[in-house]
Amino acid sequence: MTAISLMDPSPTVLKPTDTISTAVQEIMQHRYRQVPVVTEDGGFLGVFGVNCLLKLVLPKAAVMEKGLTSLSFVYESLGDLHQRLKDMEHEPISICMKQDVEIVTPDTPLVETLLVLYRNRTSIPVVDPENNKLLGMISYWDVGEKILSADG
Amino acid sequence: MHNIHQPDVIFGLDPLWFAGALFVFTYAMILTERLNRAIVSLTMACLMILGGVLTQEAAFQGVDFNTLGLLTGMMIIVGITKDSGVFQYLAIWSAKRVNADPWGILITLVLVTAILSALLDNVTTVLLIAPVTLLITDALKVSAYPYLFAEIFASNIGGTATLIGDPPNIMIGSAVGLSFNDFLFNLAPLSLIVLPLTLIPIYLIWGRKLVADPQSRQQVMNYREADAITDPRLLKQSMFVLALVMAGFILAHDIGQQPATIAMFGAAVLLILISLPLSSSEQSKRVHKAFCEVEWTTIFFFIGLFIVVYGVETTGLLEMLAHQVLDLTGGDKSTTAIAILWVSAVASAVVDNIPFVATMIPLIENMAVTFGGSDELMPLWWSLALGSCLGGNGSLVGASANLIVAGFAERAGQPIRFLPFMLMAFPLMLMSILVSSFYVYLRYF
Repeated sequence: MTAISLMDPSPTVLKPTDTISTAVQEIMQHRYRQVPVVTEDGGFLGVFGVNCLLKLVLPKAAVMEKGLTSLSFVYESLGDLHQRLKDMEHEPISICMKQDVEIVTPDTPLVETLLVLYRNRTSIPVVDPENNKLLGMISYWDVGEKILSADG
Repeated sequence: MHNIHQPDVIFGLDPLWFAGALFVFTYAMILTERLNRAIVSLTMACLMILGGVLTQEAAFQGVDFNTLGLLTGMMIIVGITKDSGVFQYLAIWSAKRVNADPWGILITLVLVTAILSALLDNVTTVLLIAPVTLLITDALKVSAYPYLFAEIFASNIGGTATLIGDPPNIMIGSAVGLSFNDFLFNLAPLSLIVLPLTLIPIYLIWGRKLVADPQSRQQVMNYREADAITDPRLLKQSMFVLALVMAGFILAHDIGQQPATIAMFGAAVLLILISLPLSSSEQSKRVHKAFCEVEWTTIFFFIGLFIVVYGVETTGLLEMLAHQVLDLTGGDKSTTAIAILWVSAVASAVVDNIPFVATMIPLIENMAVTFGGSDELMPLWWSLALGSCLGGNGSLVGASANLIVAGFAERAGQPIRFLPFMLMAFPLMLMSILVSSFYVYLRYF
């Protein structure tokens, strides 16, 4: 068994030109951890998820590489955080989507796929190595169901 | 001065030319940044040995372990100390002292940067201060550029003031046997003059444009600096050790100890203090984490570089160059000092000042005979220190601290571009060197 038999072949996707406001609505409404971002012809670009949302509401100085490791001295209200998100809501998600994402290919063996899933703690994209097209997504639940329904 | 020997170089090549070629190639490779500088210096150091210019034993003689020990010890101490949150505390505390006034904050952050750069080292300082600066400027909704620009200058000017402030000073101090106090008495006064002078043009260009609305200022005033201290116990331990180390540096000459021993002992004491309450496995983790704070790339870069320069030195090439320099200056000490100051400044603005200083040290040592002994070289050493440290302000690649700040600016979406920075920074750097020229001339001649 390989990754292709574990995946959901028609996942929800976002376009890089979608606004942050649209993307936030999508992930909040369906409680998605992350949604793949693809080009018009299905080319895989990255993911947009709850971590991107957190990145948008936190001060830049803390979420950047080698930035502040603690914000214990910063006191902001939910209103302040909402305002920070509002300031960005019309920007395209391409400015904050995560691009360095670990992926699997359709031929990735079962156990290796599970290891990637375990390492990333979120759904993982299945990408065709030939043309970089997104083929589907593998979630914990897909895998859980497959394992539970398998014969011992 | 080292005894010149004639080594058996590979293929019967002239050792002077072979070592010289390796040396020039080392510089060129560092300049192009095609390969990591540590890889370059280690490769060239090995070629010095494999090529027959040096034996392995001789190569190790060229490594200045005092510089390496001082750097490593301080890196460990600062690496552990930063986890206490004290640096964020200082930055926030100072910002609130001026009621979050944007220009006032620039002044206080400059002061904090300069003082920390003098007492720790300027690279570590900017690593800790730049993120807090970005947080504050973000809250104030003002451009971070003037702040980061001023902090680059403050880090290099502050670093000029002490033995441990900037790697060139560590190298010069170690090679010549200069104490912490020597640097403090000879260079700190000039830092105190240059820093406020540098702030004048910065104010004229940006000062009046730095305006923040009351709401944004209140946001900064709402920061609670006391909460930045995430580990009060570690803070006490770190401050105790830092005070001990500073006292050690000041008294080093009287107690007959080298700075490396003091820094390393400080690091060891701090490691004992933080490890004592922990279990054996927790101790291992903590010690491992502390050693990860050491910038091994820099340490290995130094090791390789020391060997390359020592190899060149043993062939007599640097002695020849020293004579060339003396011919140019007519053997006049004041002219030589001022020439070293200006050449060091311009060179340090365009190339990494560490290899430059590593080369200049033996070159100046070779001038001792002409000027009547080692004691007569003091003005030249101060000129080299001033030129190489302050020259680092001349461009973005002039000092490691500059590149680190530029990296933060880039990640914050407010990039510091090479040319615009240089157009502003280079004249400012030249102004500081002009002031240094008067200082050196009036004080030593």
